Formats: sequence, structure tokens, C-alpha cells
Amino acid sequence: MNRPLEFLGPAIELIGRNASVLPATGGAFEEMAKPDVEEADDRFFGGAKEAKEGFQDFAEFPAPGWRELYRPTPPVFRSKKHVFRYFCDGSIKTYFLGTIIEGDRSYPLELTQIGSAIVHRKDDGSLEVAKLERQLLLLVPYKDGRGVSESLYNDLKRMQTPVFRIVDVAVPDPLSERRQDPRDKSGAKARFEMHMLEKRLIEEFAPNRKPDEWTIIDGGVRRGEFIELSRTVGVAKSFDRTPTFTVRKGYRGTIRKDISALLAGLEYGCRTAAFFAHGGKVAFWYVRLRPQGKVDYPLMGVVKVEVPTPDEKPISTELADNLSSALVGERNVTPHGLDKRWHAHLYPIFQAERVIKANFFTETVLFASIRWPKPKQGLLS
Amino acid sequence: MAQTKTRTVIMNAESNQTEQIGVSVPANEIGNMPGQVTAPVIGKTSATERDANSSDKFNFWLAPGQIVNPFDIVEDEHLGKAFDKDGKPTDRPSKTYGLVTTIEHRTDSPNHLANYVSSNFGDVSETEINTPRIGTNVAKVNVLSNSGEIYMPLQNDRPVRFASAEGIAEALGIDAMAERNRIPAGLIKMSNGASTVAFLDQEFILGPEGAHINISGISGLATKTSYAMFMLQSILQKAERTRDDEGKPLSEKIAVIILNVKQGDLLQIDQPGAQPSVDQMELWEAMGLEPRPFRNVRYLLPRSNNPGMPNSFLQPVGYQTYAYALQDTADKLDLLLSDVMDQSGAMDALVGDIMQGIVNREASFRNTASWDNLLNGEPLVKNGQTQKWGDHYPSTIGKFRRHMRRIVRTRSTGLFTNARARNEMNLAEQIREIEGGQTYVVDIARLGEEEQKLVFGDVLRTVYELKAEDPENRVTRKPIPEKVIFFVDELNKYAPSGSKGSPVLQQVLDIAERGRSLGVVLFSAQQFLSAVHPRVTGNCATKILGRTGSSEISTPDYRFLDDDLKMNLTRLGKGELIVTHAVYRQPVKIIFPRPAYQQRQPGT
Repeated sequence: MNRPLEFLGPAIELIGRNASVLPATGGAFEEMAKPDVEEADDRFFGGAKEAKEGFQDFAEFPAPGWRELYRPTPPVFRSKKHVFRYFCDGSIKTYFLGTIIEGDRSYPLELTQIGSAIVHRKDDGSLEVAKLERQLLLLVPYKDGRGVSESLYNDLKRMQTPVFRIVDVAVPDPLSERRQDPRDKSGAKARFEMHMLEKRLIEEFAPNRKPDEWTIIDGGVRRGEFIELSRTVGVAKSFDRTPTFTVRKGYRGTIRKDISALLAGLEYGCRTAAFFAHGGKVAFWYVRLRPQGKVDYPLMGVVKVEVPTPDEKPISTELADNLSSALVGERNVTPHGLDKRWHAHLYPIFQAERVIKANFFTETVLFASIRWPKPKQGLLS
Repeated sequence: MAQTKTRTVIMNAESNQTEQIGVSVPANEIGNMPGQVTAPVIGKTSATERDANSSDKFNFWLAPGQIVNPFDIVEDEHLGKAFDKDGKPTDRPSKTYGLVTTIEHRTDSPNHLANYVSSNFGDVSETEINTPRIGTNVAKVNVLSNSGEIYMPLQNDRPVRFASAEGIAEALGIDAMAERNRIPAGLIKMSNGASTVAFLDQEFILGPEGAHINISGISGLATKTSYAMFMLQSILQKAERTRDDEGKPLSEKIAVIILNVKQGDLLQIDQPGAQPSVDQMELWEAMGLEPRPFRNVRYLLPRSNNPGMPNSFLQPVGYQTYAYALQDTADKLDLLLSDVMDQSGAMDALVGDIMQGIVNREASFRNTASWDNLLNGEPLVKNGQTQKWGDHYPSTIGKFRRHMRRIVRTRSTGLFTNARARNEMNLAEQIREIEGGQTYVVDIARLGEEEQKLVFGDVLRTVYELKAEDPENRVTRKPIPEKVIFFVDELNKYAPSGSKGSPVLQQVLDIAERGRSLGVVLFSAQQFLSAVHPRVTGNCATKILGRTGSSEISTPDYRFLDDDLKMNLTRLGKGELIVTHAVYRQPVKIIFPRPAYQQRQPGT
């Protein structure tokens, strides 16, 4: 009988033979993602300087006046202009396998399934999978010397396959480096690896696109590293709710607005002015996809749109308007009832996520492959 | 119909191999072996946590745009090897055949509210949808059979195709029927335009394995009688081409008796109808049959109150008239009075004694030679007064006289006569002389209800006695037909459900339960299956269902049909029928040609 996870058993056995293990209850259990994790990631990616000082500069040309922070962007549907053709998402499932004890060091052992998919929307609106990849990651700290021993790490590395990788949690990255708790750190590292997978898929797939075809990435365009591809936008349904925006500065006085004030004035089918982030390498703005009266509170139904500006030049107002109109046109259909973020979720992105999750190993299969060797008598005493 | 489908799977979850295909492959090649030419794939089997495939049922999703209908037969290669006709394994993989029972459209919308919201919060003018909701049509299928007798559930993601003509035959068990036993019963037409003949097994229609056909369905679609006549024609034509051990056609051993109960519907069955249309010709030819009227037909029409005229809607050429004198009816009085309330049994006892007295020519009935004698003379009446006779009280005798007077005199249509004329036949005697190859049509359309029951019971009893007892009073020396097929419409009149028992019902039950071994076959029809006695319908090895109302199909009599299939009965069209047959593992939908005999009524 075919064993889909035949590579995992030997790795588990190797760890079990070379270190003491305090297994998780039932062999493993899923680490539940915190509800605001995307929002927190957006805050981290937003940059320390901007988080502190707020967003200062308009990123569109001609620059709007401080009284002209909103622009109407009525929906433009696929039948009129089919702008967004590709939709990319990543997904992740992390499992805590146990605590490993080697000498005087102990560290968590986490297993993660990451996947990324790009779905293509055809002329008739139907979807097909254009690209899909899934990997299994075993997360251990190594580089900082406080985790797995060198010999065990090297032995584990030798067991890697194209879909099974050993990942060193101690290697810094923008997401995990700020985390202190070891299991939080592993989770952030896994998300970083997922973003890297998304980035690679998008870049590999980019040459297949036709000149007028745009790609939407779920979330921001910074995935640890910038995605600098043309005709690519990041659309985030969850975003940092803390920044402020300087909408007027100079001799007549500085006017700042926090994001709540900015979005409270944003009407259905409109967008905010675009601002620069990441030192001018990203232009972003907000678009309201759902009428305020139809959702629970005013900040629902809004997405954050990011466009890479590697040359640090503002984008044209027309481009921001067109992209926003096309996004408002994505309002039908919604995953209402299937995802609590439905109000800001784009349906093709939701389907991309489904494709990935449908290709994940089930917990039954996964847990069946995790069999710790029986501990030797007195090993933990 | 979707002709191409892009393969998009990147990672194979089973092998963990990464593959990038990205090329368009014709959908009909997916699942095929190289160089193998098979029917296009129309979908793939689907087993889920909640909706598993089983030994009896499976599901499959349909390729976008693919059309499938209930009663289509599909096939899928399965585990193990197929058996040949001798039951030995072959090199071919086994195939599982299934009957589509219903098709559902499933989307990922968890509730209707989600769809409401997805139309911009209930904006009915919102017609623009950038990304249509993910959805698919899912067909639910009842397993018909597996060619290798393997009833493991079909696995997930198996390609499904429309069954071929050979596949349908295998699926239904037709391939196991002996060629000489195959009776064409209609054409199975599938959604892909393919069609194949539905054969019934003669041994399950005419015996000895099973017998009888019952047809039900609402009136007005001209289907029940037409189908019965088509089946008779099909049986007779097949029998003409099939020889016995002595080289004689089997049709010489089959006789048919038809009761005409409506208008002149069946009084011209030997006359050719209008030239069939091309479509109709194709239907006849597809089944290897010839569109032609019945041959060697005798029409027996009832006597009327007008001298010399039959009581009939039309008079076919060469008809004969039948009538009932007292002597002809003496042993059938029970049939005539079968509906009279008789809780104490006094009436039944009286009728029995009268019948015995007349038939045995007992002294008290020596002068009772006519209906008038019986009703107004001794021994029942003396000096114009009803009198006690034997153990029978005057009140019982009075009741007998009242009913008999009503039936044979005041309400009589002319069927009863004190003395038959020379050209008025005794029906039982005529029936007793029936020969193989003959078709008798007995007209009862214009008779009163009691008269109809008398004639029906008389014919049935005579045929039963003919086959069961080899009567001495049969004049002709020609052999008694091996099979006598008896067709009657409105069976519910004679064998109603809920009836505790009447002489007529008993006669029908005798035929239904024992006719199979005697060679007496009942073809019957009625509007509602539930209106007929369950022991009659239960003994029919073949049931034919035409369009039926939803209240009727909710009765327990339709339990033999899958719930999903039942609803199809409410929307069957003209000329469409559902056939359940002892050999078939599931019901099938068929169409059949219109009769080729004259159906136009005089004056129309």
C-alpha cells in the first residue's frame, strides 16, 4: 500500500532515538492561529518608522488635496473589463509534536504543512488551478546553538525531499525575529516560509501572464521580501488598525487622521487616497467593497490594496481608480457563511485557499505517520 | 457539452511527485488507456464523508455542461475481472453499471442567505457576477450490476461513461436471456442519443418462471391500452419467428382474448391504420418488429334490445353476437350478484341452491327455462307472492328477485334473453373453442356494470377451466392453446383493493396466482395501482408505470420504487413508460411505437 508520508516516519524515529521527547498529547495537535495574526504581520511588515510616525506621503499622481481623500470607484465588472485574472493565496497548518530535550537544551518540535496556489479565472468567470505546491516543514531551532544538536540537524537535513524540508527557526526573518515565545516563533517562521513559497510561485508563474492580465495576492506585497512584479496587487482583508495618516503638512498646519477616522468616512464603492509605505517602495490605499449599513461595524467590508512601486514613484490616480473599480466589481459572489472574513474576502482567493487545504494531508494521515519510539527505561528520570 | 478539460493538478497527493501539466486534454481521453477508444467520460465518481459510495449506490459529479437524466445507465471500470457468459473470469476489468436516479446541483453556499448576500445584498437587478459560485451537478446512481459480480463500492474519482448498448444489456441481465426468450418491450433512449432495445424474458411473461403484466397510469395519455396492444403484437410477432421442436411457429400455440371496455377502441385491431411516420417506423424497425394490425381476429359483441343489432359502438366486419339465456347463466349467477351486500350469507346460500337446481334440473326447477320463469314462477313465487323455498326465507328470495329483475330486466342493456336466437352465441362455448393463433375481442363497452362483471368472470372462468380441466364439451379437435393471454383494462373494477372477496375477485386471484403454471396470462391495466388487489399486482412479474399523480405514488403500493425515481412518474410524457421486470435489477424508462391498427372512431 502506498504510504504518502513515508519520509516523515524515519525523521521522527531519528529524533526519538537521539533525543528525549515529551510528546504532545495524542502524538501531535494543531496549533490554532491567533485571529489577529494577519493584522499583526501587517503591522510588522509596515515598518517601525511608519508605525511610529504614521504614513506621510501621498503615493498617487496628481496628489490629492487634503479635502479630497476619497474617490468614487464604481464597480467595473468582468463583462466590461476583465482586469484580475490570477489569484494567489497561501495556507498553513502547524502541529506541535512535542518538546525535545537534548542535554540541557529543550525546544519545541513543530510540523507544518504549507501550500500556495494560483487560480486562473477564465473568460466565462469559471476558475481553474494554474499552479499549486505543497510542502511539509519540520521546524527546529539550530543556528543560535540553543536548539537541536549539529549532528542531529545534519542527519535530519539528509532526509529532506523536494516536499519535506527541515527549517531552522533560529535563522532570522522579518516575521519570526520579533517573537519571543519559541512556539510563536516557529509559527511565524512557518508563515514566513509560506510567504516565500507564494512569492516563488508568483514569480515563476509571471511569464505565463498576458500583457493586460493582473494578479491579486492575498495580503500585502511584502512577503519578507518585496514582490516587485508588475501588474500585481496585494489585497489584504485584515490589516493593521493602528497607523495614522498625515493628510496635510506644511506652513498651514499638519492634519493627521488615524485609520478609524479615515475608513469611517470611506463610502461604499470608493477608495481612499494612496499613501507610500516601506520608504516609498509600496503604494497602498483602502477600498470599501460593502456598504457600511450592511455590515456589523464601519471598518468591515474594507480591503487594503498594495501596489509595488520599486522605483518609489507615485502611481497614477487613474490606475488606482481602475484597480479599485475592478475590485469593487469582485463583490459577487462572497464566501458568506463559510468564512467570517467574508465581507472583505475575494471569492477567487477563497477558492485558492480551498484548493490548498483540499490538498493538505488530513490529520488522520499525518498523525498516523508520527510514531515516537518507546522511551528507554529511566531516560527522562 | 464540455469537450476539453484542463488538467491542473500539480501535486499528486498519493505519490508526492510534483507534476506540472498545464496542457489541455480532451475530456473524453481522460482515464482512457493509450490507444483505447471508449465512450467519452462524463464525470467522475465522488465519495465524501457524509455521502459515501456503497455496494448499492454511488455518486458522480458531472463535467460542466454535461447532460444526464434520470434512468440513464452509466458504467465505470471497477476492481477485478469481468466474467464471460459462462461465468468464467476474462482479461477485461469488471464494470459496474448504474441507473441514474436523480441529479442535484451543489454549490459551496452554506445557505440561501449567502446567495442573497452574494447578489449584492439581495439586489435582484444585479446580474454581474465576476466569479460564479463554485458548483457542480452530482448524479445519484443505483448500482445495477457488476460484470465480475464484485459489489465493492466504487472508489472515488473514477471516470464515468454512458453505458454502451452491450453494457445496458449486461446491466439489465438481458445478455443472460436466451435469444428465443427475448421479447422486445420498447426502446431505452439515453441522454447521449444512444438507444437500445429493452427485452423482456418470455419465461417471465408467459410462464413458467413468472407471468402477467400490469400497467398503470393516469388516463388521457393513451398509453396503457396502446402498450398492452404493442406487447401483444410483439409477443405474437416474436412467436411467429420462433419454432418449436417440430418446426412449427410458437404463435400457433398462443391465443389472445381482449376485453374491449371503452368505445370502439379495440374493435378494429385487424384493420391497418394510417401509414406510420418515419419516427414511428424507426421505432418498430429498431425492435425488429413490423407495424401491422392483428391477424385472425374474432369479434364478439353483446346482444342489444334492438333486434338484430349488437350493443356496440361500432360493428366490425364479421362480428358475432353473444347473449345470455338463463341456461347459459345458471352456473354463473354468483358472478352476476357478486356486488350484492350479503353479510349473513343467506343470499349466497340461496344463489348456490338456485344454481344447483337449474344446472342439475332438479324437480322444483323443471319448469324454469327462462329468466321470466325464474323471477315470476315456482319455486320462488307462487300466485304472485314470494314464498319460502326450502330453508330460504321469503325476504331473502324477495331480495334475490329484486336484484335479478333490475339486472336482467329493468336495467338490462339487452344482454339477457329468455331464449337465444340462432345467431346469438353462448360466449363460454365460443371461448372454449379458441385455438392457437387466434385473437378474440369481446366487447363489453356498452354493458351495465353487473353485466360487465358477468362477462368478465365468465370468460376468465371458462379460460381457467379450459386450461385446468381440459373440458369434454370442447368441440374442436384442435389442441388447446398452450398459452392464453387475457387483456382487460380497468382491472380495479373486478379486483379492487380492500375487497374481502367476491366470485369475480376470486376468479382473478386464481388466474394471478395459478395462471403462471397453467399457461393463462393476465395482461391488465388500471389508472391507479393502489386501486387493485395487492395479491393480483404482487403476482405480476412485470409492472409498467405511466404518468402517475403525486398523491398516488405516495401510497405504499409504490414502495418497490426508489424515492428518487418515484417523482419521475409525475412527469412522464406520452409514450414514455417505466418498466419493472423480474429480470431487471432496476426499473428502466422506455418508449414504444403507436399501434399500427385502425384507431379512428366512426364519425371522427
